[in-house]
Parts: sequence; C-alpha cells; structure tokens
Amino acid sequence: MLPPVFQDLLDRPLHGWAGESKAAGNRIIGTTCSYIPRPLVSVKGLTPVRLRAPGVAGTPMADTYLSSVLCPYTRSLLELALDGSLDVLDGWVFTASCDHLRRLCDNLEYLVNPPFVHMLDLPHKTGDEALAWYVEELEGLAGALAARFGVDTSRPALAAAIREQNEYLARVRRIGDLRRREYPPISGTDFHRILVAGETAPRDRLAGPLRELGETLERAEGIRDFRARVLVVGSQLDDPGYIRLLESMGALVVADRFCLGSIPGLEPIPEQGDPLQALAAHTLRKTACPRMMEAFPQRVRTILDAAGSHRVDGVVLEVMKFCDVWGVEASPLAAALREAGLPVLRLEREYALSGEGQVRTRVQAFLESMGR
Amino acid sequence: MKTVVRKVKNPSVRDVLLSARYKGANLARIGELGLKRGPLQTLRDFRRFPWLKSLARANDLHEMMTRGRTGVYREANAYVISKIISSITEMIRSFLGAPENTVIHEDLVPPEILYGMGLNPWMAEFLGIIVPMIDSATIEGYIDVAENHGIPPDVCSLPKSTIGLVLEGHLPRPAAVVSSNMPCDGGMSQYTIIERQLGAPTFRLDTPHRFTSDRAVDYFAGELRRLIAWLEAHTPGRMDWDRMREVCRERNRATELEFELWDLIRERPAPLAAEPIYLPHLMYMIAQPGTVEGTRVFRRVVELARKNRERGTGALPEERHRVALWNPPTMIFVDLFAWAEQAYGVSLIMDMLTYHRHPFIDTTSPDTMLRDLAKVIMQGPMARHTRGPAENFFSDLFHFYEQFDLDMIWMAGHIGCKNTQALNGMFREKCRSRGIPLLVIDYDLSDARVVPPAAIRRQVEHFMETVMRAERMDL
Repeated sequence: MLPPVFQDLLDRPLHGWAGESKAAGNRIIGTTCSYIPRPLVSVKGLTPVRLRAPGVAGTPMADTYLSSVLCPYTRSLLELALDGSLDVLDGWVFTASCDHLRRLCDNLEYLVNPPFVHMLDLPHKTGDEALAWYVEELEGLAGALAARFGVDTSRPALAAAIREQNEYLARVRRIGDLRRREYPPISGTDFHRILVAGETAPRDRLAGPLRELGETLERAEGIRDFRARVLVVGSQLDDPGYIRLLESMGALVVADRFCLGSIPGLEPIPEQGDPLQALAAHTLRKTACPRMMEAFPQRVRTILDAAGSHRVDGVVLEVMKFCDVWGVEASPLAAALREAGLPVLRLEREYALSGEGQVRTRVQAFLESMGR
Repeated sequence: MKTVVRKVKNPSVRDVLLSARYKGANLARIGELGLKRGPLQTLRDFRRFPWLKSLARANDLHEMMTRGRTGVYREANAYVISKIISSITEMIRSFLGAPENTVIHEDLVPPEILYGMGLNPWMAEFLGIIVPMIDSATIEGYIDVAENHGIPPDVCSLPKSTIGLVLEGHLPRPAAVVSSNMPCDGGMSQYTIIERQLGAPTFRLDTPHRFTSDRAVDYFAGELRRLIAWLEAHTPGRMDWDRMREVCRERNRATELEFELWDLIRERPAPLAAEPIYLPHLMYMIAQPGTVEGTRVFRRVVELARKNRERGTGALPEERHRVALWNPPTMIFVDLFAWAEQAYGVSLIMDMLTYHRHPFIDTTSPDTMLRDLAKVIMQGPMARHTRGPAENFFSDLFHFYEQFDLDMIWMAGHIGCKNTQALNGMFREKCRSRGIPLLVIDYDLSDARVVPPAAIRRQVEHFMETVMRAERMDL
C-alpha cells in the first residue's frame, strides 16, 4: 500500500536525494538525536539527515576505538564514517545526550575531523532554568550554522521552518490517528517506514505522497488478522524490519514510543512567540528519553496514556544492548507498567536486526501469556 | 584474607608493636560503635544490615595495607587505615542512629552543603567502594541482586552494588536523596530505582557538559541554591552560613596540606606512595570534605612524608618505577600496589581520583562559597574527565605525568565504564606518540569474578617484563 518512495529511502544510510540536494547547493547536516530540533537544521540551504546505519554488518574498525561495549548504533555510525560512507555530510550536529553519543563525537573528531561538528549542551532537566540554558544553546547553534554555511537562521527563517515542520507533522499525524481504530488500516511496519523516511529525506518530496496516502487510508479497510495490539517502547529504533518481525507473529504495533517513533514526537510546535524559545521548550519537553533524570513519572504517564488511547493489549519494551539509560530504566519502567496492569515483554536487541528466531519465540510466548 | 604480598622477613620490634597498637585501636573503635548502639540493637543492626559483618573484618585492611611495608611507610598506611575505620564507624553510627537527619547523596554531590545544614551525609556509592576492599564476595551478592532485578550485566558494577543494597532493604530510609547526572549515565540512572525503592524525596543536580565557562558556573551554582531551598523544605536541615563557612575553611586547610604532600612525593624516591596518598583524598576530600578530622589526617600524613624525606628515605626500599593510575583504584585487588612494590619496585604516585585543580573556596559570602563549590564539584574526580570533550580526560593525566616525573601509566580499564572504554583507542595512540608506556588493565571495578586478582597480576607481569623490561625483585 505504501508508495515506493517510502521503501526506497530506507535501505541505505544516505539516499540519492542527499547527493541531489548537495548538487543543488544545499549543505547536508547529519544529526544523531531527537533532542536536536529539526527546524533549526532545516532552514533554507540546509538538508538535515537523521543518521542511520542500515546494512552495517560488523564494526571492527569502530570497536578498536569505541570498544565493543558501546551502544551498537554509535559504533555503526563510526564504522560508516571511517569507511568514507558519510563523507557527503557537510556537518554533524550532536547533543550531549548520553555517554555513548558524546564519545562518538570525540572519536569522530579525532579520527575523521569533519569540517563542521557542533555539540549542543543538553540539560538533564526540563525546568525554567534548563529551558533558558537550552535556548542559549540553540542560539549558539543557529549562529554557528549561519557563520559556517551562510544560511539565514534569523527568527523569521526559523518561524518559517517551524511552519513547514508542523505541516509535515499534521500529515503524518492524520495517518497515525488512524491506528487508534479498532481495525487500523496501516501496519506498524508501514507507519514506521513513513516516520523513518521523514527523518532522512527532504520533507517537500514527501508532502504529495503523504497527502495521497492519508486519503487512501481513510477509505481503506482495516487490518483484521492480528492477535493483539501492542505498544513498542524503547531506545533508538530506525529499522522497520524490527517492527515487521514483531508483527509477523500477530502483534500489531499500533503505537510507538521510541526514538523515531510517533509518541510524543508528532505534536505540533507552537508558532506563537519566540521561535527559539518554542523549539527549545518543545524539544526538551516532548522527547522522552530516560536521560532526562527527573521525568520518570512523566514517561510512565505518557506510556499509560498512549496505551489507553490506542487500546493496547501489551507493551514491548525494546532496549538496545549496552544502552545504560534504557538498560537501567527498563527495570523500574516494566515494574511500573505491570503495576498499572499492562503486560510487558522486555527485549534486548542489537542495532542491526539479528536473533530473529529468538524474538519470534519471545513474542509468541508473550501473546500466549496474554491469552491471544 | 587472601594476599600474595609477602611478609617482611625479620620485622623490627617497632613495626610489630605499631601494628598491634593500630589493630587494637581499630577493634576498639568498632567495639565502641557496638557499645553506643547497645548490644541488642547491634545484633539487630547486624541482621538488618549484613554488610556490617565486613566492617567487623576491617583489620584485614590493615593487614593488606601494611604487609611488606616497613618503617614510616608502614606507619602511614596503618594510620590512614585506622582513621578511615574510625570515620566510617562514626558515619555508620550517625546514619543508623538518625536516618531522619541523614541525606544519601551521589558521590559528586557536595557534602559541604549538608554539613552546613546540620545534616549527616551518606555517600550512596560508599559501600560499593569500601566493602570489596575487604570482602568482594559480599558486594558480588548485591551485584547479583541487581542483575536478577533486570539491570543488564554490562552496566557498571558500582551502581549495581548500590542498587542491590537498596533492593535488599539493606540501607535505612534517609530524610532525602540527592543525586546528579555525574559521573556517568549508569550512575545517574540508578537513582530512579533508589528513589522508588527507598520512597525518599529526591533532588537531582544538573551539571552542564561543558563546565568551565562562567555561564556553567552560574547555572550550577543556581542548582546548588535550589538544592539548599529544597533540603530546607524536605529535611530538618537549615542552612547556617557561618557553619558552612567553617566547613569550607576546613576544606581549604586540608587542600593546602594535600598540595604540600604532592610537592613532597614529586621527589625521587617518593617519601610516601599509594594508599597514604589516595585513601585520605577518597575519604576526606570526596566522602567527608571539610571536617576537622580530615585536616588532621592530611597534616599527619604530611609529617610522615617529611620525616622520610629528611632521612633521605623513600617509601619503598628501592623505587624503580613511578606510575600514574588512571580511573579509580582496583578495589577488588586493593593490595595490587603493595604487591607491585615488592615485585618490581613500582611506586604509585598519583591517580585520577586524587589529582585535581580545585580552587580554594572564597568564604567571603554565601555566593562566593557556592560559586567555588560549584567549580569544585564540576571539576571533581571523574566529573572533569567524563564530561566535556575528550581532551578533559587526557589533559590532567599528561600534565601530572610530567609534574610528578612518572615512568608509565596504568589504566584501570573497568569494563563497565563505557565512557572511558570509548577513549582507550585514542589513549593508546596519544601515549604512543608521546613515548609513554601504557598498560590497560582489563578488570571490573567491584566484581572480582569478571577478572580475578590473579589475572590482573598476570597482566601487570606481562607488561612489566615485556614493555618495561623490569626484573622481578621478589623471586
């Protein structure tokens, strides 16, 4: 059902559009974290790409520097950078979100020395003082982008980028809302393809296909051959193959609360007031990574609300191997969700899709334990 | 007690008497704790807090730290261990006796503020550091509890030890908990579990990633102000700025003495080395800074170092190699350096936890105190190395490598410390380009089952004999 454009975008780290965009005079900016507000790196003249590493089978070179006990996402990105696959990037933007990404940045600068690297000093809190700090950080990034690439990061330019982002979010939200239906017309796998494509391709190329898809899906029959509705919660997940694996056992993924997922990432950014203030507040408060050290109750509440609004039967908690913040948080989170009456399946996974047989067995057992 | 350190053949009468005196004093201090708590309460304490049994074996630590060491160096070790045992028993008595006035805090939260507010500080990670020095099996039990609860095996064993203690109910409920985002993600994240399990109100301090700017000092000093207001709302503590000023002054006195000690150990041979250098810092600059006892300990250690220097005597009978230890000391093999001294004449001069460039605290006003404390904490051990760019990790080390006239670096490559594991590749290349011999010891900070002491010894032997071309002195 998905237009081919959404399929084509996902099998390589950087799609052909990056080269085309560069040839047209745009600068390609790689990003690695949901705490980087996309509109800020989407102003005219910049093309942001959320970096992924599909097809990376091993990380021997990266392991030499990062060690084999670091998050496999960061190791995979360093492997790509070391073999030159990311040379097309004109710049990298990081946040100090976790030890792993920070050390990726350090090793990248040491080994590759990209022409532009900027680290946003992301606070671990979301209160007023932290917000003021992050506004200044975004101001610093805006200034650095303008100075380096000669792009317009003024308030009006940012306001325009926010409007574009909101238009995109509205199109995706329209599709996402259909998943609340008793029989959703779109699978979790396809919806995830849309989200990942949206993070890796210029948004203007997706506007038409998304509008048409929304109209088609509104009239489409729902999916009926599933055993349970599940909500997937966890860390960086940018491979729709993983969702397909869960769904192959009859677990229809109707909601997703992970990096590159839709909850709560599809909420519109306020268009009133100072754009930087709006971006900082929206980014700090809408993203729900356990690295925000005071927000555990809020994260639990978000999941419980989503579970209610999407009528889920159970939660799959996927944790990337070696991720410290999710590795520790998964334990109290699973306990809190179970206390609230939600069945939880906790899965540890590598970044690259692997161990499919084991995942199938675990999911099957989980569905059976729920009487499905 | 297991150790491969050899006893001194024909020890002097003075050395024998010294050990007997300090061991007696240690037992007396532990007994005093029992007396103050009362016999029945002590029995209950031992049942409720089984880790207390390790403390009862504290003289094992004396044995490990004095074995093979003679004269002033032996005395310095015996003295430091004895003072630490004394401070720990007092800390335990305060916590068990008045948990409602105690704040459990993460190891990079400033206890000075708690002292200034009349509260008892209890460093959450303290038992995970001190217990494996005496008895690694006890702490391994807690690590297992955490892993059985779902904490992944790859997470640092120090937070896992603390999580295990809390899950088992082996810490009393304090008045409050104060944590921070330091020094690492695992350490930060454990407080979600600690908060849930203890049910105590919790405050978290946020340290910027780039912490050296005035802007960062403003932000973090603001965090400290908010912490004080929060503690006043949630605990019986009230800030007494005069008391706080005295705590800060005491810290300054200890810092001055520590600098003097560092000046003394720059000389070859170093008049003191290893535990008398790093243990006082761990106890009296990190866990209990700003106490009169801490200043007293530093003063005595300086006196002992001076005594050796005046005699022209080194701590070791023959100092052949001077080493820097990067990362925290190997607590599961605490007599590593006592063994390396005998085996190769290796003198541990400086280490990551001890070395700092803290400012003296300006006690003019509450604002100056908080701003300087903010700098001290943000530039505290590990904090300054695990935050900010990678350069922070290396600059201190390469600086003091020259400053202390060292010959090699041993990196305690704790497998659970991903932050530093991710720098080892860069570390090797930087050392190679400077011509500095580097040993990366594979091991786990708190879990001796991962790499046992014998395997750590083999790594050292291999390095010393192939890279340093060292000859064994003990065979």
